[in-house]
Amino acid sequence: MAGARSSLGYLKPYRRAVGAGVAMMVVTNLCALGVVSHLGQAIQAIKDSRAELMPHIVLLLIGFALATAVTRILSRVWIFNAARAAEYDLRSDLFGHLMTLSPGYYRDHPTGDVMSRLTNDVQTVRAMWGAGAVHLANAVTSFATVLTMMVLLDPVVAVLSIVPYPLIFITGQALSRRIYRTTREVQAELGGLSSRIQEDLGAIQVIKTYGLDQVRRRGFLAASQRLLDKNMAAAKVRVQLGPILNTLAPIGVAILILIGGRAVIHKEISVGYYTEFTALLARLVWPTLTLGFMLALVQRGRASWARLVELQAIRTDIPDGAGPALPASAQPAHVAVRDLTIRIGDRAIVDRVSFELEPGSITAIVGRTGSGKSTLVEALCRLIAVPPGAILLDGHDITAIPLASLRGQIGYAPQEAFLFSTTIADNVAMGYGGGTAIPAARARELERAGALAAAVDLSGEPRVNAAAVAAGLEKDLVVMPDGLATIVGERGITLSGGQRQRVALARALAAMPRLLVLDDSLSSVDAETEQLILGHLRAVMHGRTAVLISHRVAAIKDADQILVLDQGQIVERGSHEALLATGGLYSELYRTQLQTELGVTRKEAV
Amino acid sequence: MAVTAAGPIGPVGPRRPGLEAEAVLGKAYDVRLMGRLARYVVPHTRLLVAWGALMLVRTGFEIAQPLFVAYVLQHHIIGNSGRGVIEALPLDALAYIGLVIGQNLSSFFEQWLVQLAGQRTMHDLRIAIFDHVLAQRAAFFDRIPVGRLMTRMTNDIESLNEMFSQGAITIIGDVIKAVAIMVVLLASDIQLALVTFVTLPLLVVIVEYARRAMRTSFRQIRVRLAAMNGFAQEHLFGIRVVQLLGRGATAQREYNEINAGHRDAYLLQIRADAGMYALVEAIGYIAIGAVLWWASQHRLLPMAWMATVPAFAGLIPAAIGLVTRFNELIARFFEPIRDLSAKYAVMQGAMAASERIFQLLDTDELDGAVGDGDATKPDWDQPVPRKPDRSESAGPAVELAGVHFSYGAEPVLRGVDLRVPRGATIAVVGATGSGKSTVIKLLTRLYERDRGAIRIDGIDVRDIPLAALRRRVTVVSQDVILFAGTLEDNLTLGVPYTRDQIEAAVRRVGLDRALARRGAGIEAAVAERGANFSAGERQLVAFARALLRDPEILVLDEATAHVDPEAEELIERGVAELLKGRTTLVIAHRLSTIRNADLIIVLKKGQVIEQGKHDELVARGGDYAALERTFRRQTTSE
Repeated sequence: MAGARSSLGYLKPYRRAVGAGVAMMVVTNLCALGVVSHLGQAIQAIKDSRAELMPHIVLLLIGFALATAVTRILSRVWIFNAARAAEYDLRSDLFGHLMTLSPGYYRDHPTGDVMSRLTNDVQTVRAMWGAGAVHLANAVTSFATVLTMMVLLDPVVAVLSIVPYPLIFITGQALSRRIYRTTREVQAELGGLSSRIQEDLGAIQVIKTYGLDQVRRRGFLAASQRLLDKNMAAAKVRVQLGPILNTLAPIGVAILILIGGRAVIHKEISVGYYTEFTALLARLVWPTLTLGFMLALVQRGRASWARLVELQAIRTDIPDGAGPALPASAQPAHVAVRDLTIRIGDRAIVDRVSFELEPGSITAIVGRTGSGKSTLVEALCRLIAVPPGAILLDGHDITAIPLASLRGQIGYAPQEAFLFSTTIADNVAMGYGGGTAIPAARARELERAGALAAAVDLSGEPRVNAAAVAAGLEKDLVVMPDGLATIVGERGITLSGGQRQRVALARALAAMPRLLVLDDSLSSVDAETEQLILGHLRAVMHGRTAVLISHRVAAIKDADQILVLDQGQIVERGSHEALLATGGLYSELYRTQLQTELGVTRKEAV
Repeated sequence: MAVTAAGPIGPVGPRRPGLEAEAVLGKAYDVRLMGRLARYVVPHTRLLVAWGALMLVRTGFEIAQPLFVAYVLQHHIIGNSGRGVIEALPLDALAYIGLVIGQNLSSFFEQWLVQLAGQRTMHDLRIAIFDHVLAQRAAFFDRIPVGRLMTRMTNDIESLNEMFSQGAITIIGDVIKAVAIMVVLLASDIQLALVTFVTLPLLVVIVEYARRAMRTSFRQIRVRLAAMNGFAQEHLFGIRVVQLLGRGATAQREYNEINAGHRDAYLLQIRADAGMYALVEAIGYIAIGAVLWWASQHRLLPMAWMATVPAFAGLIPAAIGLVTRFNELIARFFEPIRDLSAKYAVMQGAMAASERIFQLLDTDELDGAVGDGDATKPDWDQPVPRKPDRSESAGPAVELAGVHFSYGAEPVLRGVDLRVPRGATIAVVGATGSGKSTVIKLLTRLYERDRGAIRIDGIDVRDIPLAALRRRVTVVSQDVILFAGTLEDNLTLGVPYTRDQIEAAVRRVGLDRALARRGAGIEAAVAERGANFSAGERQLVAFARALLRDPEILVLDEATAHVDPEAEELIERGVAELLKGRTTLVIAHRLSTIRNADLIIVLKKGQVIEQGKHDELVARGGDYAALERTFRRQTTSE
């Protein structure tokens, strides 16, 4: 992030726009002085009964007023646009950074918190840049120009009539601090209420079955009442600010009546000057009032900026490989795992594991829930940090291979299938980088023209079709409104768990990878469909190295080697028959149909 | 779902659950929504009446100031006879300060009152949403994410509250002030007032243009913001797949595109806002210029020599006083209009928030709505049922006959029959996904069965008021959720049991021994979700609280969580204590529980495939026999 210590680094590319905006603001305030000065001249002309001067004075007054408008529009547009442009850069940088963080980070940090930084905090920082800059520049130039003007008119009257302003500033600051404190208290109370709501909604079944509605309602009522009280305590301070500042500022006018009025009577200053003074004082009221508001904006902006810097400082624990990309090859991959240990916290999830995947072989990994199977295959794709030298792909250390190159070799279908909200075909095509990825703006145009579905329709792609068939999607596609062109997700249709898994499987197959990794990717698929897919898979796996995790005997019994994991260690390995004959953990798991079939599963340990 | 005319954004549009609803757009003033909101405001009418009165007082003080300044200039500084009255000035200054204090004092109370009315309304609305949400059936919570419900009760309420502090209500005050100023101007000098009003059509055109531009712009902004956040959220959720497929760069490109669309949507808003602010300010000056010019040509003596005639001498100060009065009043007239755009944004946000809130309040899937209990009332408004008379019993304590149920299109139960005689313990076993837990949910009517009958003492559960049903059937589930508070609160759950009763229950399930181990009593503090208690301890708390309720029918979903051997033993004892002489349906995971059951029912894929006593089923060598081996292995290995 450019200039992590100060957020102003982001405004740097737009310094010309901001500079021009501030310059315009100076011009605006000078023009405003012109208005005020001609107002005074007009009053003086009336006093002197010189009506013939009036058209000239009034025309100039209106001219200055129009100039004020034009320059003010320019200054606001330039500064606010610069702030928006800087916001764009900040957001874009953050999103890019978030895309580089490892899955491990997202396991430990709630998406809600990350999203809140990407949305709320960015907005707060932008408010500091835009509104903050405008108000600050306006306040400074207003005070500078008005004070200069007043001193030029009459130094004594000027000094006396601005006596209340330091007082206003001090009071404003003191009140701002109190506002900040009470607002924090409101935030805390609101946080308490939020967690209470979350607690209740999370425990809704208990509340319902135990008839706790009333008890919980009483508690909620009390919490809501406390929030109301805190809000009112904060409101009491907040609504003081305006009236107090509004009482202090007109003291200048009272002083002007006293001193300036006397000066007019003694003919020391003219009536025109007196009117000018009144108008000038009025011009100071608004910047004074916005000062407090601006201070709050800057304070909040800085707090948000700190949160963004914190996020930006996080580095992925899976750095890109520094070595050369793997040479292009159609041969099945060879994988060697040497004494691999993966720790999360102080627990070894994978514990001193060594094995080889021979090119073109099928390896099954079995074990109880929580035995480390998924972590092991995630390590193959470096979805989790692995120590250098522990895993070799075709003899190359995978931590040295660029991530894109490494993952390009692997087709991975996870148990929790994640689909993008686009068409099924698009989701599948993404497996080989063939997803449409129509830019959003173009997509909008197409959607308006009703041509979007046709544009993202990759259902004619032979590669997509073949993968869909191999993943056993045919049957489902027939009943879907648009077949492969059906859009999934909230806007489209909701797929069942099994269907999602199969789309994800099709995506992995469409990649035509050198190494195929199936992490229990048929767990939600019914037995008949599974049989069908397994039939296809044998053909698909031909000429590839494959690793599969499954609880189902049918899927694993033909594997070339079976690795049995227990508490992160390989406790048995061999073929199905050999393992059955030894009568160890595998035969135990097998006899009970590999646990899940009859299903006493334990809660996932990780 | 209320998708707006602005429409979707493309394949990368807002597709994450929850964001769709955020894209709902409101007008700045929606009469229908205002009407609904009014219902919550009405109880605080007295506050609003007081507020209105103070507002009028404040407006009076405020308008009096320019009049007074002009009066002082005319009568005391310039003086009617060409000579100022210097001795009047100190009193003038004080009087002016008096007017200022009067204005600000009433302004303080005015704002405070409107805040109070607003906060109380929001409090009422919060409670209304809470009541509404809690009265919904379980399926509602499967469908609507917790996050969205939270947003309704917190953020949306806050934006609605801003309407009170900065939006609609202050606009009423502004309008009244504007009208009052117009009346004073007209009363001061009809010609000059009309000259001032000549600028009004221009003002109306500008404000209307800006309003339209801002409406268009806000609509675009909201849709694009939702799209942008939806896109980001989807990619954060699917980060593994994004990285696996190497889509980081593509995602960045797409995100930048939406991001740019979001930035550009603001261009119009920025222009409209700046234009309105600056032009309204300028029109104010132009109005003043016009007044000055007109006054000089029509109110002043056209010839300078007339000023020398004493008879006309008083006319000049009069003219200056009049012009000054206009200057000051015009400035105050235009000020609130200048800031209208900020208020407009607040109103738009508030209307969108209330639209979402009312949408939630309109979603009605009341719990137990199918039955004869008065479904329009939440549970706690239901009449307290009479204690069931055992002699009336016309059937087994619990009976399921041919029950079918599916989640969406997925069948979970396919014709389940089950009878639990009074006082008996029935154990249900089966694989995950066999439908065991669903039986409990149907029995307590968290979900409604599709077909078949579920009866308690021969009465269909749908004919029993929900509150009564749930008082008779107590469920102890495997995920024991404790609430933040004290242990005692969690044991009594709001019912005033005596200390002796509580301690007896704690002793009977062995919770006292567990507590002694950590050196705590029932006053112990419980963290959110019971995080400071182990799984085993939480189980015992759940047993004790079930024992206190002394239910007619107990449903126990045994936990499968790991506990240490000592806790295991405690729990086993606790279960035995709980089941003693009670009609019990238990989803069993413990061999000891299953062995002691009067009848074992084996569920597979939503159907009862075997039933009988433990020894019979083991002897049969079917599915149960296989399951039993797993149980045994687990029990011995742990």
